[in-house]
Amino acid sequence: MAGTYAADPEWADVSPIELNDGSESGAMPLATIAYPSDYLEATSYLRAVMAANEMSERALKLTKDVISMNPAHYTVWIYRAKILFALDKDLLEELEWLNGVSLKYLKNYQIWHHRQVLISSKKHFPTMPTKEPDFLMEMFTQDSKNYHVWTYRHWLVRHFKLWDSPREIHDVEALIQSDVYNNSAWNHRYMLRFGPRDDQPDAGMINAGDSSVSPEEKGRLTVVDEDLVDAELKFAQKQILRAPENRSSWWYARGVLRAASRGLEEWEEFAGRFVDGEQTKSSHAVEWLADVYAEGEKAKAVKMFTMLKEKYDPIRKNFWDYRIRQMGVVA
Amino acid sequence: MATQHEPRPGIPSLFTQPPPIRDPLTTETVQLQETTLEKCLTFLKGLHPSQTGPFNAAGVPALLREDHVAYLYESLEDYPAGFVAMDASRPWMVYWALAGLTLLGENPTHFRERVLGTLRPMQNATGGFGGGHGQTSHLASSYAAVLALAMVGGAEAFALIEREAMWRWLGRLKQADGGFSVTEGGEEDVRGAYCASTIIALLDIPLALPSDAKKARDAGFETLTEGVAEYLSRCQSFEGGISGSPGVEAHGAYAFCALACLSILGAPEETIPKHMNIPLLLSWLSARQYAPEGGFSGRTNKLVDGCYSHWVGGCWPLLQSALDGKPQTTGVPSETVGSLFSREGLDRYILGCCQTPTGGLRDKPGKSADSYHTCYVLTGLSATQHYHYRTNVSVSPGSAFESAFSWRSSPMAAEEEVYEPADRLVAFHPLFVIPHQAAANLRLWCESHPISV
Repeated sequence: MAGTYAADPEWADVSPIELNDGSESGAMPLATIAYPSDYLEATSYLRAVMAANEMSERALKLTKDVISMNPAHYTVWIYRAKILFALDKDLLEELEWLNGVSLKYLKNYQIWHHRQVLISSKKHFPTMPTKEPDFLMEMFTQDSKNYHVWTYRHWLVRHFKLWDSPREIHDVEALIQSDVYNNSAWNHRYMLRFGPRDDQPDAGMINAGDSSVSPEEKGRLTVVDEDLVDAELKFAQKQILRAPENRSSWWYARGVLRAASRGLEEWEEFAGRFVDGEQTKSSHAVEWLADVYAEGEKAKAVKMFTMLKEKYDPIRKNFWDYRIRQMGVVA
Repeated sequence: MATQHEPRPGIPSLFTQPPPIRDPLTTETVQLQETTLEKCLTFLKGLHPSQTGPFNAAGVPALLREDHVAYLYESLEDYPAGFVAMDASRPWMVYWALAGLTLLGENPTHFRERVLGTLRPMQNATGGFGGGHGQTSHLASSYAAVLALAMVGGAEAFALIEREAMWRWLGRLKQADGGFSVTEGGEEDVRGAYCASTIIALLDIPLALPSDAKKARDAGFETLTEGVAEYLSRCQSFEGGISGSPGVEAHGAYAFCALACLSILGAPEETIPKHMNIPLLLSWLSARQYAPEGGFSGRTNKLVDGCYSHWVGGCWPLLQSALDGKPQTTGVPSETVGSLFSREGLDRYILGCCQTPTGGLRDKPGKSADSYHTCYVLTGLSATQHYHYRTNVSVSPGSAFESAFSWRSSPMAAEEEVYEPADRLVAFHPLFVIPHQAAANLRLWCESHPISV
């Protein structure tokens, strides 16, 4: 194999480790790939420098070469991060390069963990790099629900304590404004408003992860800022009026009420506005009323669950029947 | 246009009409949903020219069994250079194909030598399997490798796994918050917890933490499994579903990983209600099923995708078993909460929308087949065709994983089903996603060959 590396004096001292894809066992290996020769060569040198745990400029260049051919190669990313720190490289420059790679390979998640590893260095980044939110918004213009980008953004909020940063809530509102069905944005909003802060372990809801606390208590705050709760409920109502058949906004409102340990009945009138016989505009409003009535007015609750199972959400018939049975009523 | 034609007979209007309420507002989400709906409707009505049938009295096309078998055999052979991105996923390619073939009734054991030869160079002396030769060990690769070895079976396959090194490696992956990172220096998520628990249970890995499990020991843990359930509890989102890591959006694939992990760590009627808010979880999980599509979405306001037939569909037997409570008999429980989702809807989506005419199964109409979707769509179909329950008899009585090895299954009564009896698949273990016997054989072999630590 007379490739780029074999012919390069800089690599003359390295003996590449050839790929063992299992052929040497005598049995035909499974799911083999006819690798391009430049990939085969580069990964042979990668195995060699990794085996020697080499932290060098040439190894760093090699990782970039392998990434350019296969960004899903998780091993090379981890090795690259180690070298960057060992050689004390300019991490802002690395971020610049990473931005381009991220936009090119939208579904890749090694990239996002790599970014997190770099930015978690307090020495290099005592505060958040200022361009970070702009870049994340650029990613969201490509895919506003990209799970890896949202996972990273959640980490960023926690790492730099950005819960009350105006930019965070501003971006969330812009995303909800452009697509009110963006459930990822709603989740981020919930975490900004009601998620645990840095005095508690990270969790999707507070009061989670402590075996002595019942899961029924999850999400319920001990100290409630009622003004904030009211503002969030008002925000949810505004968004529901734009699109009543949107699970995201209704379930956000449920999360807000749960945080404040307030009941669903305070929205009975509001939900009722969307439930009107043939003019019914929201199955989520019907479910809301069913849950309100299930507390006492069982016959009315059954009527709502029956509407869901017969007309508005019949694919979930077995679940609605289960809800009816739970009230002690024969479905 | 095909959509203007009448649907085939036998199909309820639930699966041929758009939903009764649609918002007047149009956004990107709405547009994607409408496009998907239109595409699916043609297939659900049985009117797409690529659907060759035959269709049964319920208007459901037959499973293209031979084509899917041929597709999966082919998926184990050579790939052209354009597939270089798969270089870190070869253990998965092996697992998906063998699992799919097994579900379809093929015998995977004749691949034993080839599986051993393929996986041997991927195992690292420091424990675990990487995605390929010279790659760092990864929990996902190790999970796929262990399951593939379990399916081909035999002492030589089981003995290939260096379990003491695996134990030490798992210790190094365990984090201070109870979870597992997927690789040393890599991200921590719910997949890690599930893959690690599966490996620990199947391989009878000692629970005591190895001496070099620094992060876990510093956090005060003494075992590999301690703190895992609490970590998973923190992954439940306000919607009720479960996210990949704490604080992120609820997602179907992670929900399965978390619930299966809880059901491995203990009896689901204890571990799930202890760590999850059940009413929120049930409501979110139930809302994953859409009509008319019939299939599951992974997240709120996202599209249906065939792979969630397993990730979301596979949650249901676990939750149903948790609600049914402690098993009292050696056989089928006398009382059960029953099926809480629409098996008919899922079966119609799988057989109508996910089969490609040349073999292999897909995410949705308009997408190509791949072995990942073929495996998990078939796993989902198999799960709907069987009733999964636990008994008070375990393959591993008295062990920490007694409950995980007490699952059984029986076929659903044919008269209630929309597919033909000939289209029934093999049943899989609902936690380990391989045949029950394959899981039992591996566990029992490991119990009889304990590692000294």
